[in-house]
Amino acid sequence: MAELVGIFAASHAPLVAREWDNFTPEVRAGLTRCYDKVGARLRALKPDVIVEIATDHWVNFFLNNLPAVCIGVGPENEGPPEPFMRKVYNNPVIANHAGLAKHLADLAFAADFEPALSHRLTLDHGFCIPLWRAGLDPPPPIVPLLVNEIEPPMLSVKRCLAWGRLLRRAIASYPEKLRVAILASGGLSHSIGEPTMGAIEIEFDKESIALFDKGAEQPMIDYFEAKLPTVGNGGHEVRSWFIAHAAAGSRGFELLEYLPVPEVYVGCGFASWSVQ
Amino acid sequence: MATDFWLSKLMYDLQDPKLREEYRADRAGVLSRYKLEPAVVRALETHDINVLAPRVNAYLLRFYYQYSGVKDADFMSGLRALPKDYLNG
Repeated sequence: MAELVGIFAASHAPLVAREWDNFTPEVRAGLTRCYDKVGARLRALKPDVIVEIATDHWVNFFLNNLPAVCIGVGPENEGPPEPFMRKVYNNPVIANHAGLAKHLADLAFAADFEPALSHRLTLDHGFCIPLWRAGLDPPPPIVPLLVNEIEPPMLSVKRCLAWGRLLRRAIASYPEKLRVAILASGGLSHSIGEPTMGAIEIEFDKESIALFDKGAEQPMIDYFEAKLPTVGNGGHEVRSWFIAHAAAGSRGFELLEYLPVPEVYVGCGFASWSVQ
Repeated sequence: MATDFWLSKLMYDLQDPKLREEYRADRAGVLSRYKLEPAVVRALETHDINVLAPRVNAYLLRFYYQYSGVKDADFMSGLRALPKDYLNG
């Protein structure tokens, strides 16, 4: 049977790639330290597959076709399309694990979830920045779980948690011997293309971290359902973290680093969950 | 304000470097393929954020200003000057 060997979360600001060479040594060192913590643990686990959760940044989907959730089920996906990403992470094609992806999709439909499916996605910076900075180049096969975190309406917090439990079940019930890690990409606070662009909401980030640390789902649901509509639009990416959290059984959260980085406009968060 | 599909589509499509090149060389020709209101066409000519921002997803707006060569500091200054209720305008 497949084994869930690790669960992680990491931020993914595009400016990390676009401006890397222009940062001060201090900024580069801070970001390197953060991503290295995730990367060292993730690489040490030697996953055969990573299920990665991220939003699509208007690459695969548009207003004429905008799924709430999409699973990549094909044998491979396209690497990042952004020129600034191709310079640093030159993987034009990224393998998928179609077997596990299809199993997740089958289980989802059997459990009354209705994800969209894609047989060939393009994995933008949201997927590839954490992989790049974590030293997964090339990466192991990636099962992409795209969650709309960019254009309302979006999944409820409760539904994200349900997806996390479903994901855990899918991994546990997959018959092949496989080491599977989960990587949630996105968050914490940031604001893009809004009057608050550039603002990092440290109070929100700290409260979010405290709630993940406490673990209980209902306080998270209560807080985030009320708070997310009031913070910068990038804060919606914390939905990826909800899925990871529930996949861990809503316990065992460990903050690896929190680093507000004004140079990339993001309150960068890096975390791990126990899989015991 | 309701989402402007065609303005959003233009901003989405302009992620393609080839279309951006064509847009720079023949803006009117490219714009003629989108069902845009005259006020929106004028706003695109002057990067009038007061007209554009309420009509599109904020990420698409960010892409558009980036591709148009507007510096982040200028873009952010324009955003900060938007009326508080600009989304409902």
